Amino acid sequence: MSSTSCPLSLISPGTTTIITGVNAGEGLRRRLYDLGIVPNTEVTVVTRDRGSIIVSVCGCRYALSRGMAMKILVASEETDL
Amino acid sequence: MKEVISVALTGNPNVGKTTLFNALTGARQHVGNWPGVTVEKKMGTLEYAGATVEVTDLPGTYSLTAYSADEVIARNFIIDDRPDVVVQVVDASNLERNLYLTMQLAELGRPVIIALNMVDVAEGRGDAIDEKRLADLLAMPVIRTVGTSGEGMAELLGAVVDIARRGEKHTHTIGYGDDAEAFISDLVGILDDDPALANRYPLRWLAVRLIEGDADVRRGVSESSVADAVFAKLETIDFDEYEATFADKRYEAIGAILPQACTICVRKMTGSDMIDRVVTNKYLGIPIFLALMWGAFQLTFAVAEPFMEGIEHIFSWLGEGVAESIAPAWLASLLGDGVIGGVGGVLVFVPNIFILFLILSILEGSGYLARGAFIMDRLMYAIGLPGKSFIPMLMGFGCNVPAIMATRTIEDERDRLITILVNPFISCGARLPVYILFAGVFFGRDAGNVIFGIYVLGILVAIFSAKLFSSTVLKGESSPFIMEMPPYRIPTLKNAMLNMWEKGSTYLKKAGGIILIGSLIVWFLASFPVGVEFGSAESFAGMIGKLIEPLVAPLGLDWKMAVALIFGFVAKEIVVSSLGVLYGADEGSAALSDALLADPALSAAGALAVMVFVLLYMPCVATMAIIRKETGSWGWAGFSVVYGLVVAWFLAFLTFHAAGFFIGGP
Repeated sequence: MSSTSCPLSLISPGTTTIITGVNAGEGLRRRLYDLGIVPNTEVTVVTRDRGSIIVSVCGCRYALSRGMAMKILVASEETDL
Repeated sequence: MKEVISVALTGNPNVGKTTLFNALTGARQHVGNWPGVTVEKKMGTLEYAGATVEVTDLPGTYSLTAYSADEVIARNFIIDDRPDVVVQVVDASNLERNLYLTMQLAELGRPVIIALNMVDVAEGRGDAIDEKRLADLLAMPVIRTVGTSGEGMAELLGAVVDIARRGEKHTHTIGYGDDAEAFISDLVGILDDDPALANRYPLRWLAVRLIEGDADVRRGVSESSVADAVFAKLETIDFDEYEATFADKRYEAIGAILPQACTICVRKMTGSDMIDRVVTNKYLGIPIFLALMWGAFQLTFAVAEPFMEGIEHIFSWLGEGVAESIAPAWLASLLGDGVIGGVGGVLVFVPNIFILFLILSILEGSGYLARGAFIMDRLMYAIGLPGKSFIPMLMGFGCNVPAIMATRTIEDERDRLITILVNPFISCGARLPVYILFAGVFFGRDAGNVIFGIYVLGILVAIFSAKLFSSTVLKGESSPFIMEMPPYRIPTLKNAMLNMWEKGSTYLKKAGGIILIGSLIVWFLASFPVGVEFGSAESFAGMIGKLIEPLVAPLGLDWKMAVALIFGFVAKEIVVSSLGVLYGADEGSAALSDALLADPALSAAGALAVMVFVLLYMPCVATMAIIRKETGSWGWAGFSVVYGLVVAWFLAFLTFHAAGFFIGGP
């Protein structure tokens, strides 16, 4: 895939994109996988604020801290999918 | 011997598992703790088709990877206790994620039944789920249930009894691809040489977990006779890679099953998303949260008042009866002043406690409280704590002891310590009677506002203390967090009532136990040495109080309050019961509130100071003990007491003088 990736924390609210990778340690990554936050899954940013963001993945809503959202890489918005 | 079938109830959080558990077992349940941890263990029994069915409600988990204590509990229960049947409650409106746990359960070797819950929500949204097809594909029974109406319970129980009697094991598991499968079967071959392991664990599952690098399972295997061979074999692989592959394979399997069993199952922006945009809004979030909390306290006061008056009448009637009809006089005093004055003084607040818990249960059941935690995360972030520490804070409104235990879900040690240390400032239910008493007596119609203010003050002190700790003694960065936001739901009255009863009944038990003992001790101290007037300055209680009085005099308090505050260390309700005993003397059977109002030593400003002091002054004995246990150091427990006393004294002093200035002091 030639698209560029950026952290989920930079995606603006209301945007739907695709997860391209999870850049975290073993425990954290397993946790995210368990919740359905895996590469090639669609993710929608519901709200985003200074401290944290709410995303929707597979119909579930999660609140993530910005630090956590930094570790999740998604296809950047301007990329043609 | 009657047939007994053990059932483990499992599922993701927020799928209606508790509702289903209540619908199955009704009131025939009891709550304990899982051994070694403080997660609640709920069990219930029922009779069906000539068998006794014992249901154990496992903690809600997303997976069985043992990321948290809850997951370890759920998994160990299924492996060690070998329930006859495992029932997974599945949110039909959210099949994809729920089935991930199903894939893992299938590997544990116990028969699994799927309770397809909330089908009404899913189908209301246009999904069409073919549960027969789903059952075929998963090779497990799938039963439609609606926990809130009790629909499908008989079918579910029928399937449980049926599968238990057949005694089948579940053998259908997903494949992880040729390479991984070859590795798994090699590993199973090695593990099989140790009969202790082979008897205890399903070996395929054990091999899968080892390949995924599960630390907990590694520990379990390390004592085995084949440990060396196993670890040598595992040397050759990359855990991270396998773990990701396995997770992918599970989702792949789910992805293959779903389209065959569910026709739409595609997600759109839902009502929940809309509500979330509003209630978690940057500007509206906190005001909405505060408004709801304020409303809760107002409502608590308004609804509880007639009940309170009724109970007050009963106790004053009882008190008069005792005083008139019981001889000798000392026994009448023991019963009237000690038991009725003390315990009765606390029981008067039962309606308030129950109504507040009911409102909180409803908020929790609606899914709003999780948003509250999220909104507060913004504040938490500003003070250097993760949003996760807001959950223990929220629990602290009930009781600080379980709240402090709940900090175990916080992985980072520094975050956890700060969360523990500031928790006692969150006003627990035990302090509520003190506020209700004083606010009710001195502030009348504004009582709800005053109490709301006290709660807010507690939160503010906790926040400032956290900021102080995190920028001085406990420096560091907070760790990232992730938290699920359950969909909004209309809470059912039955669940809210059960939840209220669970929490409220602890209060009743305390009144009969520790508060009764405390009241009797205060009565004893107030009655002796022989010959002194009851509750006078010459009694033991008076002597102790007089000794401390100089310390609390600057706060506008006299020796009676000093005695009550000392005993409040045991349990904060005892502040009220001690006053009930001590004031019982002057006023005969008159209610404590009238007695306080008539006491010239107390003013409205003093009453505010008492409330502030009781809010902050020190953790009660049980809380102190749990701080010692959870931090593993008497140092931090002692620090918590000293810090609390200093902050309490200082703020009560400020309150007393500021209030004296504005509303008129003594």
